[in-house]
Amino acid sequence: MKEPDRDKKYAARSIFSDRFLENWTVFSENLLGKIGLTLLVIFAVMASASFFTPLIDPMYHPMTGVDPDISYSAGPSMRHWLGTDFIGRDILCQLLAGARIAFMVGISAAFMSIFLGTVIGMIAGYSGKVVDTLLMRLADMIMVMPTLLVVLILSSLFGQLNIWIIVLLIALFRWPGVSRVIRAQTLSLKQRPFIEAAKVAGASHFRIIFRHILPNVLPLSLLYMTFRVTSAIIIEAALAFLGFGDPGTVSWGMMLQWVWKTGHMFQAPYWLLPPGICISLLTLAFYMLGRAMEEVLDPRLRKEVGGE
Amino acid sequence: METRKFIFKRLIEIFIIFFVILTLLFMLFRLSPGDPITRIVDPNMTPEDAEHLIAQLGLNRPIWTQYVYYLKNFMTGNLGISFHYGQPVTSIIWNRLFNTVILFTTAIILSAFAGVFLGKIASWHKGEKTDIWLTLGALVCHTLFLPWVALILIWLFAYKIGGFPLNGMISAEIWTDPSSSYWIKFLDVAHHMVLPLLTLFLIHFGSYLLIMRSSMLDTLREDYILTARAKGLTEKVIRNRHAAPNAALPVVTSVGLSLAFSISGGALTETVFSWPGIGRELVFSVSNNDYPLAQGAFLLIALVVLLSNLLVDVFYAYLDPRIRY
Repeated sequence: MKEPDRDKKYAARSIFSDRFLENWTVFSENLLGKIGLTLLVIFAVMASASFFTPLIDPMYHPMTGVDPDISYSAGPSMRHWLGTDFIGRDILCQLLAGARIAFMVGISAAFMSIFLGTVIGMIAGYSGKVVDTLLMRLADMIMVMPTLLVVLILSSLFGQLNIWIIVLLIALFRWPGVSRVIRAQTLSLKQRPFIEAAKVAGASHFRIIFRHILPNVLPLSLLYMTFRVTSAIIIEAALAFLGFGDPGTVSWGMMLQWVWKTGHMFQAPYWLLPPGICISLLTLAFYMLGRAMEEVLDPRLRKEVGGE
Repeated sequence: METRKFIFKRLIEIFIIFFVILTLLFMLFRLSPGDPITRIVDPNMTPEDAEHLIAQLGLNRPIWTQYVYYLKNFMTGNLGISFHYGQPVTSIIWNRLFNTVILFTTAIILSAFAGVFLGKIASWHKGEKTDIWLTLGALVCHTLFLPWVALILIWLFAYKIGGFPLNGMISAEIWTDPSSSYWIKFLDVAHHMVLPLLTLFLIHFGSYLLIMRSSMLDTLREDYILTARAKGLTEKVIRNRHAAPNAALPVVTSVGLSLAFSISGGALTETVFSWPGIGRELVFSVSNNDYPLAQGAFLLIALVVLLSNLLVDVFYAYLDPRIRY
């Protein structure tokens, strides 16, 4: 008589938390993942700290905070832990604000491009020859173009770009990569018996795609999202470096542009080094996270989420 | 032959893609804020001069006529006159193309070879110190931010330690001196090329190394390697003559796939080092609102990317006899 109670208890515990624990063990055993996650946490702390620094003293605002005493580029000191830039703004604060922007841009652009790529990949894989060929040709065309240069051309036409427009453009030119993979996965899933069963049960195409294929394809999407974040951060930084970023936001690429254009490159290593190190470390962190997650999320190693 | 048919088909595709890009650029230019008339007409011109200029440029004709002229111009190689330089766009970008090609192809070839070589070594010593250091180094270099690496290299090698020029491709003194030989000029260009080459090399060799390493590990598990061992061949011969050439194929594919990314990197490098290539021209023309030159440079870059993709695919088919298009 005890058995039914025990069964009920096991049934009640959600599959999700079981899965999560199982994934976490695999993930945390991977050294790369641990390093990546640690770095990410550090950057996240930096990004959140950027909200508080202007409150300590208005002098610490990244864009407008000018130190009344120092109005030139000075080295690290007690008041400014990393020194000041050419008009006396604190470099550390700019670095923190840059972390915030980097997360924002990276994650939004990655999310949008994954969303687009997954939907289009699923539709292409699931639909017949014509739609598939059309979409994949479109993907090929977009994939061939160097994103940075396209955004450059567009900014020449439309003037200074807003940071959100940049995010949108990055997403619009980055979805093809992920859609190819999703399409391949959808094609293989399409043949599985549970899809056929769903069709026999009378499910509409829409339902099949979003209720049955999507959960199986989602781990792959999430995996690619981490790689998309790295490319989004790099593209935004490169744009800001060339002078085409949003002039109202302080990103790390913008900081590098200021060092370069104001000619302080040679005399101010405290200004030149930190932004580049941060960009590289954040990119590295996301990349390591992605590689570690590959072990967890690669669908070839895991059983599918069955349809019902 | 099938390869010829394949190349022909691809060229048609490239043509179509190019056509689409041309049309898109044409439409975007018309759609962007500020119509072309206000862009070209200087507010200080008298109304008659403005009318004359507009009629000359054909901006008062209907859109379809403009489009047809646009295409016709492009097909005959007339890309317009640069606002900034005042010269035909075509001559400017042809000039620059050569500079970009020598820097870019040298960088790609060097990093591909280095990546293959080092990846091979890393896979031999899998798990040991050599492997860990190489893989870690490749990973770190792969994620470095290119303009920053360029700036650091300039700072270190051109300023602090010295010995390398700050920027540019040539030293004016050497090239305007009538007595300097071709060899001296060549050395001068090579001297200027070291730092940009190093930048591009550092960024790209990492990914090739990682791909070669994993591909090599896969190849070493194949059956024919077992046969080679059974035949009694030494490990060295097996790795170098049998496994490595096959393992290097994915690197070729990777070069093709990452071509767009590499070209962006090339443009950034040229900008920082003031290397007079197409990438830098594109960036400068966008900054100067020199629209004809920006369009021309972009179109040429797009053409180069498309053709290079085709080249890489054909090269891959040449290397791998199993591929038949």
